[in-house]
Amino acid sequence: MFLPQMMKVETASLLKEKVYLDNNATTFLHPRLREMVPLWLEHSGNPSSIHWGGRGPKNLIREARQNVAHMIGSDILEVVFTASGSESNNTILKGVYFQQMKAPKPRRHYLIGAVEHPSVLVTSKFLESLGAEIDYIPVTPEGSIDLDVFKSKLRPDTALVSCMLANNETGSIFPIKKMAALAHDVGALFHTDAVQALGKIPVNVKDLGVDFASLAGHKFYSLRGVGVLYQKRGTSFESLIHGGGQERHRRAGTENTLAIASLGFMAGEIKNLQSYYENMKSLRDHFESQVLERIPNVSITGSLSPRLPNTSSLVIEGVEGETLLMNLDMEGFAISTGAACSSGNPEPSSTLMAMGLTRRQAQSSLRVSLGWQTRREEIEAFILCLEDVVQRLRSFQNTGNYGEGEYA
Amino acid sequence: MPKTSKGRVLVAMSGGVDSSVAAVLLQEQGYDVVGITMQVWDYTECDIEEGAGTCCSSIDVDDARAVADRYDFPFYVMNCEAKFKAYVIDDFVNQYLQGKTPSPCVNCNTYLKFDHLIQKMKELNCDYLATGHYAKMTKDSEGRSQIVVSHDTWKDQTYFLFTMRKEVLPYLLFPLGDMTKDEVRKYAEDKKLVNARKKDSVGICFVGNQGYSNFIESQVSKDVLVPGVIKRYPTGETLGEHKGIHLFTYGQRKGLGLDHHEPLFVLKIDPESHVVWVGDESYLFSQEMELVQTSWLDIVKPEEKVRLKIRAHHEGAWAHLEQKGDRTVVKFEIPQRAITPGQAAVVYRDNQLVGGGWIL
Repeated sequence: MFLPQMMKVETASLLKEKVYLDNNATTFLHPRLREMVPLWLEHSGNPSSIHWGGRGPKNLIREARQNVAHMIGSDILEVVFTASGSESNNTILKGVYFQQMKAPKPRRHYLIGAVEHPSVLVTSKFLESLGAEIDYIPVTPEGSIDLDVFKSKLRPDTALVSCMLANNETGSIFPIKKMAALAHDVGALFHTDAVQALGKIPVNVKDLGVDFASLAGHKFYSLRGVGVLYQKRGTSFESLIHGGGQERHRRAGTENTLAIASLGFMAGEIKNLQSYYENMKSLRDHFESQVLERIPNVSITGSLSPRLPNTSSLVIEGVEGETLLMNLDMEGFAISTGAACSSGNPEPSSTLMAMGLTRRQAQSSLRVSLGWQTRREEIEAFILCLEDVVQRLRSFQNTGNYGEGEYA
Repeated sequence: MPKTSKGRVLVAMSGGVDSSVAAVLLQEQGYDVVGITMQVWDYTECDIEEGAGTCCSSIDVDDARAVADRYDFPFYVMNCEAKFKAYVIDDFVNQYLQGKTPSPCVNCNTYLKFDHLIQKMKELNCDYLATGHYAKMTKDSEGRSQIVVSHDTWKDQTYFLFTMRKEVLPYLLFPLGDMTKDEVRKYAEDKKLVNARKKDSVGICFVGNQGYSNFIESQVSKDVLVPGVIKRYPTGETLGEHKGIHLFTYGQRKGLGLDHHEPLFVLKIDPESHVVWVGDESYLFSQEMELVQTSWLDIVKPEEKVRLKIRAHHEGAWAHLEQKGDRTVVKFEIPQRAITPGQAAVVYRDNQLVGGGWIL
């Protein structure tokens, strides 16, 4: 258990400190990294240099690669460092497409999860503009994928299936292992965006049987600016960034040694995952049972399917999610209404809409995502504050107007 | 956030220097400030130079956020594009298509700033709503809140506030009311605010450099913009043709596209026949007008002489008001030039904003 140092801030909240419950947007730096980073800063040379300046950083990257490979159950050479989860996702989708285009009889069909991250969805739209045929894998209102439906969508010319391991908004975990096996039956490659799963549930690429996987450091208590692309040996894709021979010609560009080292360090911390898992899950379950008990007309999206231990996606009827978020923020609680990347967008979450929620329900949604550092007192304080704010906001809505006499 | 003795205030921040100074001043005075920007228009769709002194473009939002971050108060962006389109843009376009000259800033205040944001004020547990308007809040002898003309009479923006609902007044703060624009700029420079030297917003925020007629053409289908003829009043002689009545405003002299030896002015725009009537300047003068959709902060009796502004920078003219059904008839002491349909006519008692209506 650890507490990020930045959280000691004077506020009026019950805890006299700010509480961060938006760990699916990003996580805060693990405190141990504050000690490690100055040591790594000594290795500022170019890892590709032959002279002494290159050896230190090269070694840091090697150790990081070993740790990451060990963490996800892959070989060392199957780990490619990128700059972000979005880059990894882009690289696989575009890289496989470009590779296919070079084949004498390219496969043109791509099967994409309906609730993927924008870096997958928007990229697939781009591939569509180039001539690819894009098809989507629907999710049920419980947030799961029907394997029969999935199977019926696979075709002999399916080039790639891309489906996230766990959803960023609801935490739903998809049956990747079974899906990958089905995809392989038709000769398709399988990619999983495992960005949201890392640090919450075990991610073992060999066990999942996938060909490609994406990870991101900043969702895993590391420095920003590093992602991982797992590429199974024997598969190939066209590199997105051509240039030098870094990452075995799969990703050119001088390596971000510091960020890579930080991700490598955290990969070593994965050994404690079980206790973090249990802590997050028991706090999340406590939170949900308390909210359901204390606040009327609340539902939890996707609670009947397998879920990440840290994520809770609520629909709080009669309350606008964005207004709720602002009120909680002013009380020191950081949560979100959906994916962080779409904040400020008036359109309700496409993930929740794809799961069959109405527009109104989606606009009344709130996402709470716990982290390794989340403590029971924080959750208790949050429950009280949430109850308070929801009650106050509902009291306006019940009157049907916000003025006319009320503030006269 | 701790509630201090002065309370929590929601400050509408456009990203411009005025509202930023308003926010910082209020914090200095001991209020808990919460900043909010209404994103009202997708500026990627038009050719407005970002940050060129318009409201709420994305660079302006960044400026407002930078001020909030430096002074460490919460700041939010609220997307109001749909509401802005419905209440401000569509009305603006329709008014021109009906031969009128609209005042979109009043609608923005009526339907967004002092409606939507008053609601937000309550929802965010704030005690007050503040804006960077040049206007003053005072109390009359009986302790009732009233709006009066700002200290900087040239910058005064009370004209745009005439639709304010009476019950909202006790919740409003206009921290710039006692300052001149120069003082506001100096304050911003002293504090080194990012937007201290930003140009003042001029014209209509969403129209930008393209001019209002191009804007309207971009918003409606071609068949709505019907060509017509330009006729001389009172002879009825046809002087030329035009490509749509939206290209004209009442009292306009330049750009009529006529080759005529004497100055001619637009006197009437007929949305039915699409005829634009032009004629001698003397026909622009009128001693009477009618107002519709009036809104009052105080009662004006027919015998009382009040001052009216019939456009934003009008010096004001003395008149008497008389209610006739749902219309208010205004009789000026001396004839006024270019009483323009669609513009707001705003009523003052000395410096007090009393109300107003829309010129029929």
